[in-house]
Amino acid sequence: MAARSPVITGLGIVSAAGFGTEEVWSMLAAGASGLKPLTLFQSPRYGKIPVGEIQRDLIALGVPTRSSRSDKLGWLAAREAIADAKINFQNSGDRAGILLGTSVGGSYDSELFLATLIKRGKMRARPTRFHECSTTVDFIADSFGLYGPGMAIATACSSSALAIAQAAEMILSCEADVMLAGGADSLSRMTWGGFHSLLLVDSAGCRPFDATRGGMSLGEGAAILVLESEENARRRGAKILARLSGWGMSCDAYHATAPHPQGAGATMAMQSALRRAGLEPSAIDYVNAHGTGTRDNDIAETIALKTVFHNRVPPFSSTKRIFGHALAASGAMEAVVCIEALRRQELPPNPGFTKCDPAIGLEPVVELRHAPLTHVMSNSFGFGGNNGVLIFSTPETLPRAVVPEKIKIAVGGIGVIGPGAVVIKEITAPLPPGRGPVFSCGALDTTTLNPNQRRRLSRLQQMALITARQSHAPDPAQRVAIAIGTGLGCLEDAGTFIENLVAKDEREPMPSRFPNSVHNSPAGQVAIDQAARGMNSAPTVGEITFECALWQGISQLANGEADCALVGAADEVDKYLLSIGQRWGAWDDKIMPGEGAVVASITNAEKISSPLARVTAVKLGRWRKPFDAGREADWIASAVDLSKVEVFMSGAKGFRQLEPMYEAVAAALWERAGKKLEHQTYKQLCGEFHAASAFGFSLAVKLAHEKKCSMLLYTLSQRGAKAVCCIQP
Amino acid sequence: MQISTHELKSKIIESLKLQDITPEQIDDDAPLFGTGLGLDSIDALELVVLLEKDYGIVIKDIEEGRPAFRSVRTLADFIAAKRPQ
Repeated sequence: MAARSPVITGLGIVSAAGFGTEEVWSMLAAGASGLKPLTLFQSPRYGKIPVGEIQRDLIALGVPTRSSRSDKLGWLAAREAIADAKINFQNSGDRAGILLGTSVGGSYDSELFLATLIKRGKMRARPTRFHECSTTVDFIADSFGLYGPGMAIATACSSSALAIAQAAEMILSCEADVMLAGGADSLSRMTWGGFHSLLLVDSAGCRPFDATRGGMSLGEGAAILVLESEENARRRGAKILARLSGWGMSCDAYHATAPHPQGAGATMAMQSALRRAGLEPSAIDYVNAHGTGTRDNDIAETIALKTVFHNRVPPFSSTKRIFGHALAASGAMEAVVCIEALRRQELPPNPGFTKCDPAIGLEPVVELRHAPLTHVMSNSFGFGGNNGVLIFSTPETLPRAVVPEKIKIAVGGIGVIGPGAVVIKEITAPLPPGRGPVFSCGALDTTTLNPNQRRRLSRLQQMALITARQSHAPDPAQRVAIAIGTGLGCLEDAGTFIENLVAKDEREPMPSRFPNSVHNSPAGQVAIDQAARGMNSAPTVGEITFECALWQGISQLANGEADCALVGAADEVDKYLLSIGQRWGAWDDKIMPGEGAVVASITNAEKISSPLARVTAVKLGRWRKPFDAGREADWIASAVDLSKVEVFMSGAKGFRQLEPMYEAVAAALWERAGKKLEHQTYKQLCGEFHAASAFGFSLAVKLAHEKKCSMLLYTLSQRGAKAVCCIQP
Repeated sequence: MQISTHELKSKIIESLKLQDITPEQIDDDAPLFGTGLGLDSIDALELVVLLEKDYGIVIKDIEEGRPAFRSVRTLADFIAAKRPQ
């Protein structure tokens, strides 16, 4: 088997500790902290607590204005990384893509809408336009001309580690030559109030691994790496900064917020990354720890380090006090720290540490110092026990990661909730009262769920749990990976949490709602329910969210990290979605919003005797403006053998602007295939929502199984993403 | 002033959305966390909110509340001791 590894040729970072690697490294060398009191928004209760806030004027730095704060941070990091790599994408065609970890998304901007609405009674909905986590990907892709795969992953604090890992998979499997990979997250009232409600914030600023530590410090920022295949980098004569040698992903499958006390998932992710890199633990020269400064994380993480390194833990440090914890961006920011450490041959210090905690018994690096470094590891752990570990190596080292083999994929089971009947949903205060028709899943049958799942979990999580159980019976002997995406997440929990926070000036928060508000909470709960400890991912990519989940699941099966993958997507309708969508004129009496969940269990076709169907192709990309149906037909034909396909199933009958595009592609495909493909649609049955293509998939599986039809599923997102997959008997 | 454990149990049931259980079924001395009612760290945080909202007791570090959260009786004693008069 061939060994390859993606290389890094450019870095961009924006943070409270500076913009660009030079500024950041001088802060870091001085052991300084970027934490200061909050100025970005009013915080009646916690305003004096230090935070890693970026206080520069972003617009003055040249960012296009039509964007969220997270989008702007990501854009600045992307511009710097692209300049650093001396790359342009004019001749990249669809071989250059982008994969980012984002968790807060446009929440900061949407909260402006909500806060003004609650305090003043009315407000224009404009700031909510960039609410989705995936807008950062679309914004950067459109700005810099990227037409390869584009994806956002929202697994809270491990998001960008997962994004970099998945981008590496894309390059290894030759789906792209270049990927911008990293993450971006801004501060928001939601996460600020949320972490305070969990009593996880240290009022003196975080002090990772210190005996007197009292929690984390929140931050914001973005970091982006230019990740390339080595061939591509050498062909264009790029300077190679480092190699990405290995990556590992796992899930604690333990609790929504608390890490596994013995760091079981963290141990697995580190071991998986070492295995992928073909390295012994003793080869690691430095670990950039997740090290949030909370009591629980720092203990669990050091137990995991002792386990992985057989009590010979290499020099390690947490750089969280320098940046603050920038959530989805932190994995990428710390990847930049690791790559700079390799380039400079210097060990980064751990500001905030003064006294060894006897419960830990290990001391991090306290001062910047020179050391020979060849392989370094970066840890990122998130809510839902979601773990991502990356290993970077100096450019002189040999390529290490093994290229995954192409395998045949079968669908073993599928679970579906919805589409249900059309019901009238009420809109209530603080929004202007109103009502509208929606495709609703109605009341869920939760009788099979346990009492804690019934009382604590939101509807969206329950939908994911039930459909996952329909698709797959928990089997402790199997290594199970999970990729369950969502376009908008648990809207009801997020909306209620922020509404309450703003209305009550941060008093009486809702700590049990906050963990539900992260997009990976359905995937995390399914992991606990299924005892699934493999990769746990939550892609969020508008209308192609499901296809991205499917791609991620297949990737884990192909690289041998999982025996089975549960892939799916879920979304719900709530009053905010309905109200804001009505203001934008998104729906009418024919096109209604919908909701629901679909989870499919997929596995290597050779390991299953009677599959429902086979998945023979999945391809992700972005469509160009102006839309060219002929080019689309060529793109589809590059992934799918049209002579074997009978039905073209599209996402038409939804948002009006996409309608003529789907029709034109259908016509171009008939011409290309030399035969008329039957054009089927599904949104007239389930409504328009981001997870809807998962219903298209379930329908395609049903037709392939029952009618022996070969189906092509083609989906466009309004913001430029596209996907095609082929489902065959 | 001592508070009624019955009233406290009702508040706990309501705040934690406990299902299929009445105040009478909760023993004053039974452990609230772990095996007892099967509560977890997020429930503890909801109890922190309850203490502030209904009794004006502010807890900034969950370790402070840990001994109080052992049982309904320890919680009632904690409230009686800490409640602003």
